[in-house]
Formats: sequence, structure tokens, C-alpha cells
Amino acid sequence: MNRTPKILNSKVAGYSSLITFAVLLIAWLAGFSSRLFAVIRFESIIHEFDPWFNYRATAYMVQHGWYKFLNWFDERAWYPLGRIVGGTVYPGLMITSGGIHYLLHMLNIPVHIRDICVFLAPVFSGLTSISTYLLTKELWSPGAGLFAASFIAIVPGYISRSVAGSYDNEGIAIFALQFTYFLWVRSVKTGSVFWSAAAALSYFYMVSAWGGYVFIINLIPLHVFVLLLMGRYSPRLLTSYSTFYILGLLFSMQIPFVGFQPIRTSEHMAAMGVFVLLMAVATLRHLQSVLSRNEFRKLFIVGGLLAGVLVFVAVVVLTMMGVVAPWSGRFYSLWDTGYAKIHIPIIASVSEHQPTTWFSFFFDLHILVCAFPVGVWYCIKQINDERVFVVLYAISAVYFAGVMVRLMLTLTPVVCMLAGVAFSGLLDVFLQEDASKRMGSIGHSPAETDEHEESLEKKTLYDKAGKLKHRTKHDPAHDNGISSNLKSIVILAVLMILMMFAVHCTWVTSNAYSSPSIVLAFHNSQDGSRNILDDFREAYYWLSQNTADDARIMSWWDYGYQIAGMANRTTLVDNNTWNNSHIALVGKAMSSTEEKSYEIMTSLDVDYVLVIFGGVIGYSGDDINKFLWMVRIAEGEHPKDIKESDYFTDRGEFRVDAEGAPALLNCLMYKLSYYRFGDLKLDYRGPSGYDRTRNAVIGNKDFDLTYLEEAYTTEHWLVRIYRVKKPFEFNRPSLKAKERHFPPTNFISRKNLKRRKGYIRNRPTVVKGKRTLK
Amino acid sequence: MWKVLFIIALAIYNCNAVLETDANTLVLLDNLAIRETHSIFFKSLQDRGFKLTYKLADDSSLLLSRYGEYLYKNVIIFAPSVEEFGGDISVERLAQFVDDGGNVLVAGSEKSGDALREFASECGFELDEENAAVIDHLHYDHNDEGDHTTILTSARNLIDSDVIVGKGNRQKDAAPLIYRGTGLIADKENPLVLKLLTAESTAYSYNPEASSVSDYPHAVGRGTLLIAALQARNNARVVFSGSLHFFSDATFTTAVQYAQSGVFHKQTGNRAVSESISQWVFGESGRLRVASVNHHKAGELLPPEQAYTITDPVVYTIAIEELVEGKWQAFKASDIQLEFVRIDPFVRTFLKQTSTGSYEAKFKIPDVYGVYQFKVDYDRIGYTHLYSTTQVSVRPLEHTQYERFIPSAFPYYTSAFSMMIGVFVFSFVFLHFKEETTVGKSAKEDKKSQ
Repeated sequence: MNRTPKILNSKVAGYSSLITFAVLLIAWLAGFSSRLFAVIRFESIIHEFDPWFNYRATAYMVQHGWYKFLNWFDERAWYPLGRIVGGTVYPGLMITSGGIHYLLHMLNIPVHIRDICVFLAPVFSGLTSISTYLLTKELWSPGAGLFAASFIAIVPGYISRSVAGSYDNEGIAIFALQFTYFLWVRSVKTGSVFWSAAAALSYFYMVSAWGGYVFIINLIPLHVFVLLLMGRYSPRLLTSYSTFYILGLLFSMQIPFVGFQPIRTSEHMAAMGVFVLLMAVATLRHLQSVLSRNEFRKLFIVGGLLAGVLVFVAVVVLTMMGVVAPWSGRFYSLWDTGYAKIHIPIIASVSEHQPTTWFSFFFDLHILVCAFPVGVWYCIKQINDERVFVVLYAISAVYFAGVMVRLMLTLTPVVCMLAGVAFSGLLDVFLQEDASKRMGSIGHSPAETDEHEESLEKKTLYDKAGKLKHRTKHDPAHDNGISSNLKSIVILAVLMILMMFAVHCTWVTSNAYSSPSIVLAFHNSQDGSRNILDDFREAYYWLSQNTADDARIMSWWDYGYQIAGMANRTTLVDNNTWNNSHIALVGKAMSSTEEKSYEIMTSLDVDYVLVIFGGVIGYSGDDINKFLWMVRIAEGEHPKDIKESDYFTDRGEFRVDAEGAPALLNCLMYKLSYYRFGDLKLDYRGPSGYDRTRNAVIGNKDFDLTYLEEAYTTEHWLVRIYRVKKPFEFNRPSLKAKERHFPPTNFISRKNLKRRKGYIRNRPTVVKGKRTLK
Repeated sequence: MWKVLFIIALAIYNCNAVLETDANTLVLLDNLAIRETHSIFFKSLQDRGFKLTYKLADDSSLLLSRYGEYLYKNVIIFAPSVEEFGGDISVERLAQFVDDGGNVLVAGSEKSGDALREFASECGFELDEENAAVIDHLHYDHNDEGDHTTILTSARNLIDSDVIVGKGNRQKDAAPLIYRGTGLIADKENPLVLKLLTAESTAYSYNPEASSVSDYPHAVGRGTLLIAALQARNNARVVFSGSLHFFSDATFTTAVQYAQSGVFHKQTGNRAVSESISQWVFGESGRLRVASVNHHKAGELLPPEQAYTITDPVVYTIAIEELVEGKWQAFKASDIQLEFVRIDPFVRTFLKQTSTGSYEAKFKIPDVYGVYQFKVDYDRIGYTHLYSTTQVSVRPLEHTQYERFIPSAFPYYTSAFSMMIGVFVFSFVFLHFKEETTVGKSAKEDKKSQ
């Protein structure tokens, strides 16, 4: 196959685009399929908590139209406050799936909106890998791009938020994030208004989709700022940033939920500051070219001082006037990991806001987390404008991912990209000279597409000027130093690692991230069969069938969206935790005694109380385990009534057995969870009332409920629903035996089944012939 | 969705529109002689349309309900010394009867039996201990037998409610009431107990046969309760009298004279008071109901389809009726309030009576969105508890309801429009003069080249 270089090049270009296309398609397919575990194992349902709201909102929008959705006032949430859904939601997700639904119906393909919602995230994962490819290609090389695309298609850190059924903002937002970054890098490279306007449009989509857009609007200004510091100012930068910032600002303010935040809150101030700075730098550059050196120096000093004072005064005045809002709590917790725990328990109570453990880095990213620093190093070694961006992206994302588990998600794409760079660099070194020698052998080597494309893309690299330099420098050294044996060993090792990565990803996806969490599955230890616990849906269905349409249901906020979505009943609090004091009120009701919480419940018109209890089956995510958060949140708002220390034993333990704190054993949540549980014997040998989740025999077994009555308990006791009695059901407060002045005499009834006659003392007897005295 | 946005939670309301004239009443007696000694009282009931069924309290065939339906609407227990009711009736059944909306009138005596004591404690009061009688050494009747237990209590000691004790019976010059029996002790914690009649401040309740007062009496002075009532939360009414004698023909007809002061009255007030108390306890007076509730935006007739918008002017109308002599008539009062509640009341206003007899309030919905309730909670002594809530949603402005042009934004409008005009003029100039200049240039160039 010896051809002249020219023919070879065109031939290779054809191959390379074919292979690029094939790899991206396969990545899309692999990403899509590996997200389907949940659908195959269970069914096509919406998962978890937030997706239920998104689904409900989408269904509402599809049914009633966009404007009705925009003006939707949901009176069934946050009773009695209500929620303006249109103004408190990122509508991108609903619009996307609503748009797809509309399109398919236009084409006469009748698909239920639920299926679109279920499969939206897997489909978008393919788009994410394409945009990751594009971004990495901009930053490094097409080969690295293909690597990155394949990585992001299956990496668990991203799959965790985008399995089928997990219908959440993040599913489409990561695509928007990557695509915006791609357009931004492209616009910085070209300095064209077109690309930066496109970046602003993509940013608009991101703003409409996810609150994480703040990451973009801080990272891009940071990029610009660092470029300025590095003295890499160029007119291209000025054009792209000023276009992007102004358009992006105007676009983002079109989202009702964001509104005026971009010009009023501190999170967005950095972007504005950088914009002003960039303008100042551009002006100075211009003046420099116009004025003489002496004049310029004077102007620089006076102008600089004046500008500094002006900006400072403006910021102080605006903050004092309250025009610029101070940092929000979630933002503080990004800097000080202990902040939320002390000040805002509601943020700390969410498990995904906890600091990340080192273990989850490996769990979510596997080998990529090791390759990633290499990629950073490559980028730093050969720095240019856009690589500054990816380095900043990497550093900030690593920091944030360390602070919050949830932000692992923003780290994942950059790790994939840089690991792609690293692997591509590695194979560059170890396949490079082979490639030039064994040009012909590539065609018939049956190995994986990954390395194919790897060696192939190398050839396209010859076209690139930047790459070529590096190649010429290093090649001779490598050629001399590395034997072909070593090369094949290294390549085999790399392939092994990649294979294990794929295996790990599939395993993690299948085992950790594919549970819908409203349907639980467990394996029976005796016969190994798989059992399904459908208690949640059982309870919600019971609610929807057996309660009044306007019944108000109190539960901890975790279940608010599910109750609204599945049972269609009014809830007091839900996962949109916008009103801390309302949640604290519910927390207070749960952690007070029955009597006190009855007052709260009647003032809130509660009809039913729903608690999750895992003691029978050993489900650890139940309300008793979450209970301390309820106490903490309630204490934050009602420090006089609720004290966290009351719920611990003297030795500082949280226990539900007989040694537990009396406040705990008598609070409403305890009673509702363990009502009648003391009579239940789970197995023949064990004692009755044995809680499997906490491995203890409960401390308060015999109690009755005065103000509530059990309405429904599901098959495995997972969900328990109680009806709150209405005030008129306590018809007449009778005197209790203890309160009476004269204790009741122990009168023994003389009536029996046959003799039904009563008894009158001193019954007068009729004596004939005499008159009564009175 | 909610086409009609009101849920009337008439929490506790007897649903029969008009009192049945043949309201069945069971009368339980110690002995049938009481039927004769209290004939005036029974006669007045019969005259008002009650169908009385007299039974001995220990009758083994007593039956309160059959197949889940109550046979009687009211029960009178004039059997002080009953220890145990016969037949189907027991204290628990009676309590259940009250919880299901039945009315009970009970009279005890100095020697009350266990059954009455138990039933009394179910209702929130107690009879004083056995043999204890109310004694008043200053206000006793001249016919008293020497132990000063036939006491007189002035009409001023009746509860201040015309609905219960009748109009005029509580006036200054009204005849005093004669009473011989035991005292009652009310549960202080119980907010539903009404003290219908108390003794004079000089009275106390103790065993008159005792040689000396060794223990502190359980009831002293005005705290000595003679007749007590309970209006349960379902508006069932129970009246407990410590004296059966109070309702007897003898007291109804006799003349009274204070033994100490010698003030003389031709007739006791017992008859009038007993009659109005019996009217009250059997639900002939003091009954209110909500006939209809309406609310709508001012200037409209129907409530909004889905929700009110913040700061809407709203009109709320409620028709309240009172049972007067067997007919529902518009109720007149000036102290009925309406609250507009979302956890806390945001608006609290008096309802004004209109010419049609219904009550109306007009107000502006507060500038806070949420789920509100129109709440009328009218709880007055003697009247049934009137409670009506109507839930409505109040939504924020829709995106089209905001002002389109606001004065403070005029600089921006100016800048926007001037920009548009500027661009237009510029492009016009640009397009129009470009050719000329190029022509000029090219002409010059032509010249130069030449």
C-alpha cells in the first residue's frame, strides 16, 4: 500500500472522518444503552424525588400549554403558601421534552410524555459526548476528543445523574455546559462575533436548564481575567468576551427564575467586574497607541486611582442600599464546608451537599482520576489561550467537587477531557513511530476502534502546525529510547486499564446508579430470588384513591414531590426547599409531643401524616434516621421549643431503645413510626418490636395515639399514613378518673344477658292506703 | 379543577332543617310518681310538640336505638337515685348518644346514684358527695324545714344569656328561684361547660346533718353551681341540675318569701326559667346555621374559575339563619366577624347586614399570594357554634398583568428608540452616500491617474 503522501493524506482524511463518526455513534449508543439498566430491571418510570416534580411540570405544560405553565400557581404545594411554579423553576428541561413531544406528535408518532421524560437524559448523554469531543478537539486534538467522548459516554460520575428515568436538570445541563464551553473556546480562538454570540445562545439554554450556570458565568470571566494577568490580551478576547457577556446577560435575564439576579447578586458580580476591567485594559491599550509615553503615565496613575476609588465606593454603596444581595448560603458553604452545618441545617441535611469522600472520586471516575493530572500537566506544558481555560476549569471543578458530592458532576466532563488528553499523549509517544512505519498494517489490525482512531488521528496531526513542532523535538529521543517490546507492553497495559475502566463503569452503573428508589429490590438470602418492594407506590395510590381531593398531607419534605406527582394531593413542604421556616414548622410538629404537634397540625389544616419507616425490612433511609435533621432545622427556627440535645442520651447517643432520651421516645415521629410496632414479632426467636434498621428493641412499646389514628400501613410497613382527627371529634372533654374530686365507686354491673333490669336505690314501694309525705 | 371553590366545613351541624314537631323524647324516672309531681313541666313540653315516652330508669326493656337509628332525639333523666340503667341504656351508651348529637336533661338530688355521677363526669362536671346539699343560712325560703336547704337564689345568678334562660327572667325585679338539692362542681379546664345558675355568695354545699363543718366544702358561695350545661362540639346539649325539685309542680306554683329579709314574691321564677332552659337544651332556641356562602370579585357575580389575583377587591356574603319558633329566620347580630386566613388572619373585619338579611363584607385581598380561607367563627354563649370556612387560592399577577410601560423606564425607552432611529438614519446615510463618495474618489483617482 505504498502511495504518495498526497493521496495518502486525502485517503486518511476520509478514513478519519469515517472513524470519528463511527466512534461518536458508538459512544452515543453505548452511553444510551448502559443507562437503560433501570428500565430493563424495573420499568419505565420516573425515579427518585426531583424528577417527579419535573415530570409533573412537564405533563402540565404539555397539557395546558406554555403560557399556562409560565403562570402556573400551584396551590397544591407548600400549603397554604402555594408556589408560583413558572417563576421558580428552570424551564429548559420541560421545554426540551415538551418540544420533542410536540415534534413527534407533528410527525404522527404518538409517544407518551412520560417515555420522553424517561429517555431524555440517555439521549442527551450522546449529545454531551459529541460536545465533549468538539471541546477537546478545540483544546488538544481530535484523538483526545474521541477518547474524551468515549469516556464521558460511560463514566459513572455522569451516569449517576442521567440514567433513564432520572429526569433531572443535570441530564441536559451537562450537554449545555460542554457545548457552551466549546463555543466559548472557539470564539476566543477565532475572535469572531458569530461564535461568541453562539456561545451566548448556548449559555441561554444552560441558564434555562440548571442553576449551575453560575459556574459558567464565573469560569469564563476567570479565564478572561487570568489571560489578562498573563498578558495575553488580544482584540479577539475583547470581542468575544464583550459580545458573550452582554448577550449572555440579557438572555439570562429572560428566565423568570433568574430575573434580575445577574445584575444584583454577588455571584454574578465577578463577570461584570471582569467586563469593566477588560474595557479598561482595552481603553488603555488604545490610549497607549495614541498618547506619548509621559502623558500616558500621568493619565494611568490619576485614572487608575480614580477608577479604583469609584468602583470601591460604588460596590460599598450598592451593597449597603441592598441593591446587590450578599452571598447566598449555598455559596458560602462552597468556601467553608462547615458553614452549612452550623448555620443552615437544611442545606447540610441534603446528602448530596455533603463533602465528597476520596472513595467516591475513584468510584465515579476510576482510572480517569489518575490520568487527569497528566492531562493537566500536558496542558500546562504547552499552554495557550484555550488551554488556560481548561486548566482553570479543572482546578475549580476539582475544588468544588471536593466540597460537595453533587458537584462531582461538573468535575466529570473536565476529567474525561483531560484524561483523553493524557491517553492520547501516551499513545502519541508509544504508537507514533510505529504509525509511520506500519502505515499499511493499520488497515487490517482488528483491534478496538479506540486505538484505531488513536493511531489514525495521529496522522491527521501532521497537518497541525502546533503539534508538529513538538513532534520534531521529541521524536528522535523516543525513537532511540524505547524498544518495540516495551511499546507493545505499555500499549497492552493501557488497553487493559481501559478495558477495566469499561467493566467498572458498567458495574457501577448497574449496581449503584440504576435504582429508581421508589421501587426497591432486594435479594432473598435463602433462595436468591429477587423481591420487589413497591410500598411507596402502594401508599401513594392508596392516598389518591381513599382521601378527599383536597386532603392535605404532612410529611417530611423529601416526599413532597412524590406525593404531589403520584397521589396528586396537597403537600405542606416539598423538595423545593425555598421556605425554611415552613419546613421548620413541619420539623417542629414531627419532633414535639403529640399534643403540641396537634396544635401545629390543626393550624396548618393537616388531614393526614405520612411517615417512612424502615424498621421492618431494614431500610436505612427512613424518617427516624433523618429525624435529627428535622430536630436541627426546627431548632434553627424555634430554639425555645426544640433542643437537639434533648434527643440524645446523657452519653450523647441517638438511640431508640429503652435507654433513649425521653424527648425522643415521646415525640410524634417516634410514635408514628413505632405505633403498634411493639406487638410485632419479626421472627420466632427474636423479641417483639425489634427494629432491624437500628438493630434495637424499641424503648416505647405500649402507647396509644390520641389525636391521630392509623389510616394505612403498607405491606412492609415502609410507608405509614395516619389521619389527624378533627377538633370536633373530641366532642366533650370528659373528666378523667384522676381529676375527679370523688373517685368513682367500684360499682359492679348486675345486668347480664338475661336479666336486663337496672337498679334504683331506695326504690319506693307502693303502700296502699297511705299518702306520700311530700 | 375546583369549579366551585368552597368547602363548607360545617363542622358540627345538625342537618335537619326544622325541628321535627314530633321529636321523640325518652323520660327516665325513678318512679312513676314523678310524672305527676312534675306534670306542669312535662305538660309544657307536650304542648310544644314533644312526644314523651315515660319509662322507669331500671326498666329492662329500655332501648335507645334500633338498627343503628336512634329512637329518640332527646332524653330526660329525672331519676336521681338510679345506680344502673336498665335494658340497653348505660352511661357509655348515653355518652355515645351525646356524641351522636342527642340532647340530655338530667336532674339529680342529694342522694344521686352512681349512674348519674358517672354520666356527669363524662360531661365535665361532678355532683357533690352523697347527702351534701346546698345550704344558705341567709337566703332560704320561709317554708324551709330548719336546715336551710330550701334556698332562694336571685335571678341575677342566672347565666347572662337570654337565649338560654329566656328574656326578662334575669331582670332585677324577677322572682327568685327556689332550689333544694346538691351542688355541682365544674371542671375548670373544660371550656364547654356553662354555669347556668349559681347560688348566692353566702351558700355552700355540705351535708346538712353533719354536726359541724369539719372539711372545707367542695363548693362555696358563687362557686356553688346549681345548674350546669355542656354544649358539646357537635352542638349536642346536656343540662345537669343538682335538684329534681327545681322542676316540680310545687316549686312552679308556690309563693316565696325570704326568711331573713321578708321580701315576698307571689310566684317563683322556676317555671319560666325551666321552660326556657328546656327549650334551649332540646334545641328549640339558640340554633344558628349557615344558609349560603357566596364570594366573588367586586363587580362580578360568580367566584373566579381558578383563583383570585392579589389585590383583587372581593365581596363575601354569608346568610346566617336562626331557628325561631320552629322557623328559620335571618339572624340579627352586629358582632359577626370574617377572617381571611392563611395560617394567620390577614384581614379581620365585621360583617354588615344587608337589606336581604345576609351578611356582607367587602375588602381588598392582601398583596400576598397563597391559599386562603374565608373563615366565620361565631361562638357565643347559648348559640350553636357557627363555623364556616371557604378555601380560595390567591395567585400572583400573570405575566400579562404587569404594567407594560412604567415611568421610571422612560430613559431606556428613549435610548432604545433613539438607537433604532439612529441605526435607521445611519444605514440610510451609509447606503445613500457611499456611492457618491466612491464615485468622487474614483473620479479623483481617475484624475490622478490621468
